[in-house]
Amino acid sequence: MGIKIGEKSFFPRVEEGIKDEGMRKAVRSAQDRLRSMKLRATDELGHWEDWRLLGEQIRKHTVENLDYYLYQLSENIEKNGGHVFFAKTAKEAREYVQKVVQQKKATKAVKSKSMVTEEISLNNALNEIGCEVLETDLAEFILQTDDHDEPSHIVVPCLHKDREKIRQVFKEKLGYEGTSKPEEMAGFVREQLRHKFFEADIGITGCNFAVAESGSFAIVANEGNERLTTTLPKTLITVMGMERIVPTWEELDIVVSLLCRSAVGQKLTSYITLFTEPGGRSTGDGPEEFHLVIVDNGRSNMLGTEFQSTLHCIRCASCINVCPIYRHIGGHAYGSIYPGPIGAVLTPWLADYKEYKDLPYASSLCGACTEACPVKIPLHELLIKHRRKIVEDENLAPFPEKMAMMAFTVAAKSPKMFQYGSKLAPTLLFPFTNKQDHTIHEGPGPIKPWTEIRDLPAPAKETFHKWYQRQQEERTNGDL
Amino acid sequence: MAIYNREEFLSRIAEKLGREQKIESVNRPTWTTAPHLELYRDFSKDDLVNMFETQCDVIHTHFKQTSVAELPHLLRECFDELNAQKVVIAGDPRIEEYGLNRFFTKLTESDFYVHTWEADKGDENIEFAANADVGITFSDITLAESGTVVLLNDSGGKGRSVSLLPRTYIAIIPKSSFVPRMTQAMQQIHIRVNEGKLLPSCINLISGPSNSADIEMNLIVGVHGPVRATYIVVSDK
Amino acid sequence: MKVSIFITCIVDVMYPKVGKDMMEILQRLGCEVDFPAAQTCCGQPAFNSGYHKDTKDLAKHMIQVFEDSDYVVAPSGSCTLMVHDYHNLFSAPEDEEWREKAKRLAEKTYELTQFIVDILGVEDVGAELHGTATMHRSCHMTRLLNIKEPPTKLLSHVKGLEMVPLPHNYDCCGFGGTFSVKMVPISEQMVDEKVHHIEGTGANLLIGADCSCLMNIQGRMSRLGNQMRVMHIAEVLNHREGSDQTWESK
Repeated sequence: MGIKIGEKSFFPRVEEGIKDEGMRKAVRSAQDRLRSMKLRATDELGHWEDWRLLGEQIRKHTVENLDYYLYQLSENIEKNGGHVFFAKTAKEAREYVQKVVQQKKATKAVKSKSMVTEEISLNNALNEIGCEVLETDLAEFILQTDDHDEPSHIVVPCLHKDREKIRQVFKEKLGYEGTSKPEEMAGFVREQLRHKFFEADIGITGCNFAVAESGSFAIVANEGNERLTTTLPKTLITVMGMERIVPTWEELDIVVSLLCRSAVGQKLTSYITLFTEPGGRSTGDGPEEFHLVIVDNGRSNMLGTEFQSTLHCIRCASCINVCPIYRHIGGHAYGSIYPGPIGAVLTPWLADYKEYKDLPYASSLCGACTEACPVKIPLHELLIKHRRKIVEDENLAPFPEKMAMMAFTVAAKSPKMFQYGSKLAPTLLFPFTNKQDHTIHEGPGPIKPWTEIRDLPAPAKETFHKWYQRQQEERTNGDL
Repeated sequence: MAIYNREEFLSRIAEKLGREQKIESVNRPTWTTAPHLELYRDFSKDDLVNMFETQCDVIHTHFKQTSVAELPHLLRECFDELNAQKVVIAGDPRIEEYGLNRFFTKLTESDFYVHTWEADKGDENIEFAANADVGITFSDITLAESGTVVLLNDSGGKGRSVSLLPRTYIAIIPKSSFVPRMTQAMQQIHIRVNEGKLLPSCINLISGPSNSADIEMNLIVGVHGPVRATYIVVSDK
Repeated sequence: MKVSIFITCIVDVMYPKVGKDMMEILQRLGCEVDFPAAQTCCGQPAFNSGYHKDTKDLAKHMIQVFEDSDYVVAPSGSCTLMVHDYHNLFSAPEDEEWREKAKRLAEKTYELTQFIVDILGVEDVGAELHGTATMHRSCHMTRLLNIKEPPTKLLSHVKGLEMVPLPHNYDCCGFGGTFSVKMVPISEQMVDEKVHHIEGTGANLLIGADCSCLMNIQGRMSRLGNQMRVMHIAEVLNHREGSDQTWESK
């Protein structure tokens, strides 16, 4: 599927989202719950701002020394007997995994939830060479079953579907005859999938964090499918975005604590699986062969720029869970598998910049994302930086906006011109002003979009400037 | 065992960062704050067990406390309650230490099937575990804050599947294994790495039964992993 | 205490009464108020739209306008935030002098309620207004400038005023500067939800500390046929019983 979802451009997608009442109801209720769960979890922890600061310091240091830590990681994996492939592009990553699958003559793979494998279109690539890939995370399984519907959230990918919709999908595609009770449907999926784990030749996972000092990986999850995926198949392939790494186990503690509380309001998720592969099946289960694929795919372009902190992201989605824009348009409207504020910052870097130039404007800059981020990424400021880049570096701003901004800034630099403009406002808008309620219902030019949905008060007859000046004059005259 | 494209990949990173490539001698800085080290600092073992018990409610896990002497009796009660007949237990020297050999031998004399995981039993282990009603492991480190048992599945008998495939998971938790939170467990592992020791191929942090909130954010207990979890704290160990 | 008013362009043109009320409050509290007439706009619309080179020139102008002021006070969290952020525009080494000037301006620039409570140390300004009100907390002021307590403290001392909490008060009203005209369909959903929450409180007065948010919310309510009374906090704090006069009639 790749990063891009859907073929439509931004505004039609927004319109679709806004019209989807079912999705919006689901998103509102999920946001409200996730927000309060997160607040409770962080309150319980106490000193949340210190935790955030520590998280920021760890992520900053790691990304600043990324080459060192990736070197250490790869050395340790080789020492443990694993293989490491550094992939500059999505294509390179896909081709390497294809090669491994072909060497193993594998026809069945099970996969646990991973955004980076979505990003590089791994499933398609494996299907092409005759390897069936089964998504085993409940939400991903639902999406896959529904003719590869697209994820709308990075932690809860099928957030946009309600239980009835899911029941219908199961009924239609899998002959499910039960009710829409979540427990019953989950039980059904358990039965459907259990034997598939035993049959699979290959397990594929993402990773939440790699630990450089020992060549280990952490997967943070709740369902247990990630444990089955890393335990039963004899070959394990882990795909990671190149920045998803911490120096040592001590830092792992911090980022995992931040992630669990921020993402789902849990102290720790049910399963945190920490593997150092291949274990040579020393426990009698677990993979005999291990491959790690480290993916760049555009990430390194952010290094050394004012966007570097984007790579600090730990993918908790707490920015998405508080975003008022996401709340109303849903994940699909972003046209990227990475939606919400982090998606709007990240996607233009990982995909075609021009194609996603609307995303940085899909924010009222309310700062809820920045406030929520557990590693203090200044998300709303990065959105402004994107806008600056679009306007000043890429020259992609629409012409009327450029003209309006030019007129505005020229005027605002000259007090005389500015006051002249202000004074002129009531006169200019007089023909459009409703005489009864002193408001403008249908404004001209730049005011038009405003009055599409709102009234605008008519400008005051006398500006503050003018009033103040008159006061001063009257006082001086009175004194005489 | 091979590493592909590393040189090119890492030099690009260094170039973008505007400096020479670093492949050695990067030291972690001293972080300016350490809130995790302050948490639950003066908690006694009893305080930790209490916090753990409270958290068990949150994570839908059955909490029990007993002594070594009473442990077999309590396990038997659990099996009966679950209607369990097939039990898989991780091969762990503590089985003997806790006097459970005799208990399990006796069980097999009745209607029970008890399988102790041993790496050299091969696929037989997995086959048994996949059909078992109950899987039992000992906890190696126990995190009070989050209600978590830490399993260091390093070699031999400590199969990953024991705590994963059966419908019910039971953890036997020595009271001495309690630490406040993940911090202390990660520190222990970090020390092992520093000492150059091999790490367990899989370390599992387990906090309750498997669950999901993927359908309308409704908590569903029991998805791919065990649908039920019971923790038994052994007070005199 | 000498205080310079930074009126902000929206108050200057659309809501001059807010400026007048603010001036009267400050004078009543013993401040010597002046109004540097060369001031224009903080430049936030240009800055947030990505026109940073232009904003830089604008910032320089504003820095010069207020260079000699002891305190600068504005009836807006959002515009105050912009002034506080000026120094980021001058991050280049060659801009050091301006960066320092920008920092000095930021240090002495306050949002109105913050100035009254934190600098003047006053919580009761002797206002009286009878009614049930709810407060819209604006994002820039609350979240980014971290001014949370001052408006609440001041309103709690207004005689006759009963404050009711606004559910989801942390959600943006959908204004967002140019966002309100660039992303109309999304802005509409946001303001509609805000209006819905406001109406749900049963209050008959909406109070806010940023005219831009209020213009957005009131504009939408007006379009939907809701004529609920909306006041900037300066108007509330300068209100006495029997002093209900419109700006135009003064």
